Amino acid sequence: MTAHTLLGLVPTFAPRPPRDQGAQKPRHQQETPMTTTVTITGNITAQGKTAAHQKDDRVTTVDGGRRLTGWPIALKGALSALALATLLGVAPAARAESLLNVSYDPTRELYREVNEAFAAQWQAQGNPAPGIETSHGGSGAQARAVIDGLGAQVVTLALASDIDKIAAAGKLPADWQAKRPHNSSPYTSTIVFLVREGNPKGIKDWGDLVKDGVEVVTPNPKTSGGARWNYLAAWAWAEKNGKDPKAFVGELYKHVPVLDSGARGSTTTFAQRGIGDVLLAWENEAYLALKELGEDEFDIVVPSVSVLAEPPVALVEGNITSEDQRKLAEAYLDFLYAPEGQALAFKHFYRAWDSSKANPEDVARFPKLDLVDIASFGGWAKVQPEHFGDGGIFDQIYVAK
Amino acid sequence: MLRTPRPPLIHRSPMPGLGLTMGITITMLSLVVLLPIGALLAKGASFGLGNMWDVVNRERVWAALFLSFRLSFLAACFNLVFGVILAWVLTRYRFPGRRLLDAAVDLPFALPTAVAGIALTALYAPNGAFGALAKELGVKIAYTEWGILIALIFVGLPFVTRTVQPVVEEIDREVEEASATLGASRLHTLRRVIWPMLAPAALTGFALALARAVGEYGSVIFIAGNIPLSTEIAPLLIVIQLEEFNYDAAAAIGIAMLLISFAMLLVINLIQIWSRRRIGHV
Repeated sequence: MTAHTLLGLVPTFAPRPPRDQGAQKPRHQQETPMTTTVTITGNITAQGKTAAHQKDDRVTTVDGGRRLTGWPIALKGALSALALATLLGVAPAARAESLLNVSYDPTRELYREVNEAFAAQWQAQGNPAPGIETSHGGSGAQARAVIDGLGAQVVTLALASDIDKIAAAGKLPADWQAKRPHNSSPYTSTIVFLVREGNPKGIKDWGDLVKDGVEVVTPNPKTSGGARWNYLAAWAWAEKNGKDPKAFVGELYKHVPVLDSGARGSTTTFAQRGIGDVLLAWENEAYLALKELGEDEFDIVVPSVSVLAEPPVALVEGNITSEDQRKLAEAYLDFLYAPEGQALAFKHFYRAWDSSKANPEDVARFPKLDLVDIASFGGWAKVQPEHFGDGGIFDQIYVAK
Repeated sequence: MLRTPRPPLIHRSPMPGLGLTMGITITMLSLVVLLPIGALLAKGASFGLGNMWDVVNRERVWAALFLSFRLSFLAACFNLVFGVILAWVLTRYRFPGRRLLDAAVDLPFALPTAVAGIALTALYAPNGAFGALAKELGVKIAYTEWGILIALIFVGLPFVTRTVQPVVEEIDREVEEASATLGASRLHTLRRVIWPMLAPAALTGFALALARAVGEYGSVIFIAGNIPLSTEIAPLLIVIQLEEFNYDAAAAIGIAMLLISFAMLLVINLIQIWSRRRIGHV
């Protein structure tokens, strides 16, 4: 927990500017906050539940949902930030615009290109060069980091429920998902099978995964956003084929020899360690594995039913420190929806919406299949606790006989 | 006429600088060790003892705790034997490459645990160098308990060797020779002369290796299959609870591990005290 908070404070540290000594009118200074409130410029914010407000002296204004710009007031936070800055030798650097995009595991390659393309476009529009950083990790862990104080202005995670958690912590409004088109998902993906070259076990559909001698590699749904989609896709197939979904999914996980903590870990286990016959993978991850690890080693098998995974994006209101930064963050998210951004998503094997500028080859590669979206399961708010919560259906699979 | 010197007003400790050093020690210890543990316990206290018990008292948690402590104990036992032999060889014998080997003992300290985990997994996976050999023999190493054990042995090895090494250096050859001239057999010398001198350090090393193995996450997570009830280690359960934003449950499992570790270290300390008394030297 602290580690993330610390991380959030590291990137840049701007010292508190000198106060305007002349016109000092402490208006609402009734209560000095006891709960820590630290809002530092640059892109560092550490949260607290406090409302100390005075506009002209630039003091933090924080409450449940909204936070206005200000300077650190709480001694503890300011001191620790200072101590950290000196400790780590972080020079006070105030960049004009900077942005931290906190994303999930398999988007590394996508956002590397998006950041470059967006920065070029942003500069072409006459703005100073933006400093855009991206952080990757398991979707849940990333969400937790943001909740614990990692100063991300933009989150692009695997699951809406992870962003919901951030919203519940008061960093962005609860209706965030309605703010952008397509449930705030500029691109979508689905779950497919990656099998060994020639498909030696003859795997065609979900039903084949529970045959004797078939080993399935998938990450742990408890720790991986992608793995929850895998699980739900299997569930959807069982429902559509008149099987008891709970029994089928339980049977499926009995064929899993290794539960990695993240999607990348599973890909490595399957592709490089040679474990298992099938990898349940994000479609984009499967194509990437083909591209990176050799097309003559693996085949992609598309099942009859799968899920429509919508990895959403959102602006983290609570971490926006200035109007300029807001503009940059908005532009960044808009870029994901723009034809250029969409073309990049197609290029990186995501099913995006607008193919007007995309390479037709990138678009044609996706086979049509029956896709079930999260709404048909009742939405994440229902699915998350029911299936993946403590003692949920997934936990019930692993019960000793 | 002799005048007795006036006793000083303030009784000064015979050790110079004791106050200062004690102050620094206690401050550092509090900041670095007691504060985080205090925070953990406080988190647990706010959660409530009954709730904590409910979290811990589940089949899956017990299975993970049992696995973690059992394998850590086995790894520490292995390290105890192998570490003492290694320390003995490195100090007593002169052979080419000795210094290199001596330096290599520290590698598990220096290597990031994730790197160690990935390297071990690559070696012991069925398509890895050793894993392929084991496969021929029909044994699976990576993604089974064996894999976890190997990772734990790896991270714990330097603890025993490094604590025993200085003691071995202190033992004079003359002691063994004296024992021999008095008619003791080699085994007898080892058992009644050498081992009593090594035992306290070896036990300390054992305790350190055990404690390290229990908390090890980074390297194990890659080589364990992480399947609930069979290859899921207790630290992973804590991480899973954190992923679910369930800080209380994570703290509960953390406290359970802390208590078991504390009990084990206490037993080891008692054995140490007992053996010192019996053997009669420090």
